Formats: sequence, C-alpha cells, structure tokens
Amino acid sequence: MFIYIVKRFALAALVLIVAVTAMFLMIRAVPGDPVSIMLGPRATPELKASLIAQMALDQPIWKQLLIYYGDLLQGDLGVDVFSGRSVADIVFQQLPYTIEMISLSVLWSATLGIALGAYAAAHPNTIIDRVAAALSVSLVAAPAFVVALLALLIFAVKLQWFPAIGAGEGFWGRLNHLVLPSFAIGLSWVGYIARLVRASMLEVMGENHIRTARAFGISERRIVMSYALRIAILPVVTVIGVGMGFLLSSAVFTEIVFARPGLGKLVIDSITTRNYPIVMGAVLVSTGLFVVSTALADLINAILDPRARSAD
Amino acid sequence: MAKSHSELSIILRGVAKDPLGLLGLIIVGMIVFSAIFAAWIVPYDPIGMNIPDRMQAPSLSHWLGTDSLGRDTLSRVIMGGQVALKVALPAVFGAMAIGLTLGMIAGYGPKWLDNFLMLFFDTVRSFPTVMFALAVVALIGPSLQTIVFVVMATSIPTYGRVARTQTLTLRNSEFILAERAMGASMTRILGVHMLPNIIGVLAVLAAMDIPTVIALEAGLSFLGLGVKPPTPSWGALLKDGYALIRQTPWLVVGGGLPIILATLGFTFLGESLRDVVDPKLRKNR
Repeated sequence: MFIYIVKRFALAALVLIVAVTAMFLMIRAVPGDPVSIMLGPRATPELKASLIAQMALDQPIWKQLLIYYGDLLQGDLGVDVFSGRSVADIVFQQLPYTIEMISLSVLWSATLGIALGAYAAAHPNTIIDRVAAALSVSLVAAPAFVVALLALLIFAVKLQWFPAIGAGEGFWGRLNHLVLPSFAIGLSWVGYIARLVRASMLEVMGENHIRTARAFGISERRIVMSYALRIAILPVVTVIGVGMGFLLSSAVFTEIVFARPGLGKLVIDSITTRNYPIVMGAVLVSTGLFVVSTALADLINAILDPRARSAD
Repeated sequence: MAKSHSELSIILRGVAKDPLGLLGLIIVGMIVFSAIFAAWIVPYDPIGMNIPDRMQAPSLSHWLGTDSLGRDTLSRVIMGGQVALKVALPAVFGAMAIGLTLGMIAGYGPKWLDNFLMLFFDTVRSFPTVMFALAVVALIGPSLQTIVFVVMATSIPTYGRVARTQTLTLRNSEFILAERAMGASMTRILGVHMLPNIIGVLAVLAAMDIPTVIALEAGLSFLGLGVKPPTPSWGALLKDGYALIRQTPWLVVGGGLPIILATLGFTFLGESLRDVVDPKLRKNR
C-alpha cells in the first residue's frame, strides 16, 4: 500500500512537472518576444525592461525554466503586470468562490443521484426505474452552460425567483446566489451518478453477504441502506475525483453566465485585458487542483478496494 | 468494399431496432442534412443585416425572431449547425486517427515506448480541457482552426488509451501470433489485422465525443473566443441572446435548443451503436 501511494504521487508530480514545462515552453514558442506578448500592445519600454529582468529573459532557456520552478516551489506565480500584485494572491482570492460553487453542485447532485440510483436498483424494471433511466440519459446530455443560460432566462429574468448576477452577501445571500449556478453544474451529474449507483447496486445486491443478511431475516430496507449502499457508492467517489476537470470547465462558463467572481471569470477577464501572467497562474492552479484530486480519488479507491492497487 | 457495405447496413439495422437509437439516428440525420444543404434551406441570408426588422419576436415571417441587427435567427441556427459540424468532424476524426496510431504503437511496441506514451497521455489529460483551450486561445488567438487543434490535442489520449488496451488484449491472440510467425511486418500486423478489430470501439467513442466538441465550440464562441463574427454559430447566438436577454430572449432558446438536441441525438446514437458493435462495453459510460 505504501509503495502504491508513493508511486501514485510520483506520477502526479511527474505529470505536473511535464505540464508546467509544456506551458512554459508554449509561451516561449509563440512567435514574437514573450514580453510583448505578455504585456500586449500597451507595453511601455520601461515595463518591458523590468519584466525582462524579472523573468530572467536574458538568461539561457534552461536557466529560465529552473528559475521558474524555483519561484513556483515558493508559491510565487509571478506578478500582475498592471497592478503589480502577486498573481498567487489574486488567484487564491478568487478560488474559494469556485470551490464553494463546485462543492454545492457535487453535494446536491450526488445526494439526489445516489437516492435515484438506489431506488431504481431496489425496484428494477418498474415505471420509476424506466423514467429514471430515460431522464439520466437526457440529463447527461445537457451542457452546463446551456442549462445555466436557460435557467437564467426562466428563473432569474422571467420568474425572478433567484438573483441573476453576483455572489451575494452573508450566508443566506450567498446561498441564494448559488442556487441557479449549482443547479446548472450539477444537473448532468444527477443522471450520471444515478446510472452508476444503479449498476453497482444491482451487482452488490447479488453478492453472498447480502443473501446471508436476507437469510437472517434483516429487513430489506436495512439491507439496502446499511449494507448494499455503502459499497455501491464507492464508484461515485472515483468518478467525482476524475470529473474534477469537467467540473472546473463547467464552472468557467457558469461563472460567466451568472457574472460570479471565481477562477473562470478571472481567466476570461484576464484574457480580454491580455493579462497573461494571471491567465497562466489560474490555468496552473486549476491543473494542479485537477491532478491532486485525480490522485486522491485513485488513493481512496485503492484504500477501499485492494484490487485496484495492482491494476495497471 | 461490398463486405464493409453489408456490415454497415447490419449495424444501421441494429441501431434502428432500438427506439432511442432510431431517435438518435433521425436527429443526427436531420442535423447533417440541414448542415449540408444549409445554403439552400435558409429562409433569409444568415449574415444579412436588416435594421428595420431588428429585435422582432418570433412570428410567421421570422419563426425564431430576429437579433439586434435584424438577422433571421432560424437562418443563423441552420447555418450554425454547419459551423458546429465543421469543427466537430475534423477534430474528432483527427484525434481518432492520431490516438489510434499512438495507442496501437504503445500497445504493440517496446515497453519503454509504452511508458513514454502513457506518460504523455496522462499529462495531456491532466489539463482541464476548457482551461487548456483558454490558455491556447489567449496565446494564438481565436479561430476555427484553434478550436479544432485544441479539441484534437485534448482528446487524443482518450482514443490512445482505448486503442492501447485493445491492442494489448489482441497482441497475444492466435491469429496475430500466426502472422508474426509468418514474418509479417509490424505495419502490416497493425494496419491490416489489428485495425479492423479496434476501429469499431473507437468509432463508438467518436460518436459520443462529437457532442462534447459541439458544446466546447459553442462555449468558446459564447465567450467570444471561438469563431469570429459574423459567422453564425450556436454559441454566438447564445452570446448575442445573453447580451440582450431581456430584449431578445428567443436567441438564447434558438442557440440553446439545437445544442441540447444535437447532444441528445449523438448520445443516443452512440449508446445504441455501442450496444450493437460491442455489448461488453455496456456496463460503463
């Protein structure tokens, strides 16, 4: 187990290193000098000179890369060229908004998805099972930002039940502002998780220990709730971990639609103002988030299911 | 050629038997048809401005209304389908071809090459797609080609990994060993004997991937980072509708529904194809 953990994290670290290097080289590979590209057309000669010194662009490329890594290890993502603030500060100031939106989306969709899937598995081939199955396929198909736009149109603009823009103040205000965004992000996950739980539930219900529990006369309700479901929801953990990249992608669009602060809004705003250090910083942080959550999902899976450790 | 023709008709007949598959086939057929003949079916010029008719609600003369420049929404929706497929098809087939080649090499070649390619796949997959797309668009500027490139780059690993797994399982089967014993070259073994056994699974994957690409193109165009105006795209319709959501909400519906419909159609078709081509795959998405 220990060796597996070390191996898995070594892979995660390696992937991150390659990703950072690729990103670094990508900026350098773009035609034109990186300073003009990063600063855009508005650059003054003084600004250019200071950035060249700051990014060590007068050094050979391998040395630049080492310096870049050194800075990254100290949590330094560079400096915002316009305001002079640290990119890390700016990114981590926006990150909580994105995290809270994603967490709420996962929370409600996983709860509903697991309930639907468990119910469908306990009553296979009934009308409710069929409806749930058709619903899951259709829901999976709806891209988050389209759902977000339609939800905005119906519930915020027409019916005016929920606020259309911003993140809100205070606990209830924030929650109220989170309803539509997390609805849009979570919707496609409900169906996906329901299908997953239904399939693994049916598998678990056929196993020996469930038969034994039945033979002991334990109520069907208790068997489902405390024996079968506990095992059947394991794949959900993995899927959410691996789906982190997908969730982040949905978050970008949803933040734009609802004009919410967050990582996605930060990136888009920075692209429009050609503020490349912030774009790169935000992309790196979200890539890191994704790599770590995938590794964690694999680890949780390995702890819960020893068979996964030897695979691959 | 005749053989593959009959195989295709067997597969199509299998899909048509499944109600959802048939529905998917009809939707996809409609989208492909309207995309090919878009220039002939559009009731108005999709980029022709007509200021006196601006911001009109849906009516008999403009079924889906007009936008702030007086352009007919229905015409733009139809033309937008063509743009969506122009991005999705080359991107998905390009990614499939490259992923297939790399995956087969990884599965059949030496161990070090396999390890190297797997690391490459894992790295590319570790970028959240949209974030990667935004970084690339920020650096090289938005265009149709940029989107095709981004989609290809990010989805190669998915095809590569599946092709590798399939190659690994086929590698030691008797007919491949026999070929090897007869001295067939690696290109011949991979191209003539492995390929036909792998391509079906990848085609299913491609069908399921097309809606993701359509959504990504629409998403980037919605952000103003996709195809350039005045090119009609479903995402651009959403962008225009969003900007004036109180005045022209029909644009949001006109841009949103085709995306959902296309996604549904390709997903139904893909799932049904999967059941026909390889029932073993049914368990997971």
